[in-house]
Amino acid sequence: MSFSLAGIFAVLSHAIQPFVALILIILAVLIAVQLVARLRSYRTKAHHCKPAMIVALLAGLSAVWWLPMLTHSQLGFVTSIVDWLALIAAALGVALLVWLVLHPLSYLVRGPR
Amino acid sequence: MSRLQLPPPSPGRRQLLKLGLGAGAASLLPLSSVFANTISTRARIVILGSGAAGLSMANRLSRRLSGATITVVEPSDLHNYQPGWTLVASGVWEAERTLKPNAQFLPTGVDWVKGQAAGINADLRRITLADSSTLEYDVLVVATGLQLNYQLIDGMSPKLVGRNGIGCVYASLDAAGRTRKAIDTWLAQGGGQGIFTSPQTAIKCAGAPIKMTFTTLSRIKAESTRERFDLDYFTGGGGMFSQPWINDFLKQRFDQENITRHHLQHLTAIDAGAKKAEFTSPNGDTEVRDYDFIHVVPPMSAPDFVKDSDLIAQEGAFKGEWLDTDIHTLQHNRYPEVFGIGDVIGAPINKTAASVKAQAPVVEANIVAYLQEKPLNARHNGYTSCPLITDIGKAMLVEFGYDNNMEFLPSFSFIDPKEESWSAWVLKDYLLQPAYYAMLEGRV
Repeated sequence: MSFSLAGIFAVLSHAIQPFVALILIILAVLIAVQLVARLRSYRTKAHHCKPAMIVALLAGLSAVWWLPMLTHSQLGFVTSIVDWLALIAAALGVALLVWLVLHPLSYLVRGPR
Repeated sequence: MSRLQLPPPSPGRRQLLKLGLGAGAASLLPLSSVFANTISTRARIVILGSGAAGLSMANRLSRRLSGATITVVEPSDLHNYQPGWTLVASGVWEAERTLKPNAQFLPTGVDWVKGQAAGINADLRRITLADSSTLEYDVLVVATGLQLNYQLIDGMSPKLVGRNGIGCVYASLDAAGRTRKAIDTWLAQGGGQGIFTSPQTAIKCAGAPIKMTFTTLSRIKAESTRERFDLDYFTGGGGMFSQPWINDFLKQRFDQENITRHHLQHLTAIDAGAKKAEFTSPNGDTEVRDYDFIHVVPPMSAPDFVKDSDLIAQEGAFKGEWLDTDIHTLQHNRYPEVFGIGDVIGAPINKTAASVKAQAPVVEANIVAYLQEKPLNARHNGYTSCPLITDIGKAMLVEFGYDNNMEFLPSFSFIDPKEESWSAWVLKDYLLQPAYYAMLEGRV
């Protein structure tokens, strides 16, 4: 059984439907923070904030534990290589997302560093 | 009342072509039929049922055929995502997650007759509905699904589900919810005898009785009270599963988990008040067992009105029980204008939504070929899939077909069908339902 590209998009269009509101809220927060910070001269490479990095890493690490629970499962059932690759990729995504929000936010709260 | 709107019945294929078939004839055709793969026809196509198979075919044929009259016969307004019922009964999903209106998936231009088919006269190419009205067809797609034969278990009725420790995930969405409550009640007792059954007939989603056993075991283990529960599995078959490797795996796993297997013993009677179940062996020997909870899976067959028609198998393994179709072309073996798809067909395995996904393009291609008087070249390899839940939180994505001794046919090379994984569980929990809806729309 194979899936065409159009078929994959058709499946994904149904898959994201229950999460559209959540995705939009997350995107809105991300874009709003980034936009406001950049309007106030925030530049990713120019600003340094270790706490934002630490919190993002902790969020990513904790995701390894709570992401399986979010799917009605548990970390103990993450066993195959595919399982771990998927979980690590998702955890990295969580860490990146948190950092992309917290880093400009720290700039807005604490000013340039 | 007759629902005839178009020319009178046209028994011959030649005559059918005279009705207006013109594959690829660009002139005077609507724009949609000018594009590749659309053919023009005035054929009257009746689809019985709007389950996974019926809706898939309605969407596919309405896109593929220009000028055809396509009628879907279906009494229900709601479409149930039945593969989700095991998750409802296991307490993982809420019931509402499995319901959508049929109208959401029926394509425009398709006539929806909200009635129950009551008879098929294959010689006259005529469907009789429960209200005595009739529908005539040039091509018939039998996608009725199957019927649950509770009457073959003495004392059993779907009304009993949820009471007296009786569960049945197959009966309905409501019954899946009541099964969940029956399991909750049993678990709250803190111990006792649980019996899980599988009948001697072919059943839809043959993995469901096993999944219900594993998810209930999972819940028992989560309470750390395993030693207080006795679990027995009675099956009318000699094995556990059609796919040989999985069959061996399941036998081993059941033994490891101290779930006692009883083969070639099917449920023949139940005394709900006394909580006793009677099992019968092929030689007629009976055994009565007490239970605190029993998951009943009734014998299944084609619906009575299909069984009473000329379309039912007249000989062989499916005689009198299932639609007489060629298992590769899915065309009826004696009535070439009739095609079968889904649970109703007589096939060694294949009573799953995943099978419909593989069958639908074959039936579509072969109906088009039939209308064009071309050979039916599309062939179904018997593909089926079972996301076999082995615990709440992990599963095996078992895909195989009936060609080549039930060999594995994995869709994703990176997911091993022999391996329990979180990924397969996530597919079951989050992605197979979207794939199912895309299938209904004929988009996968």
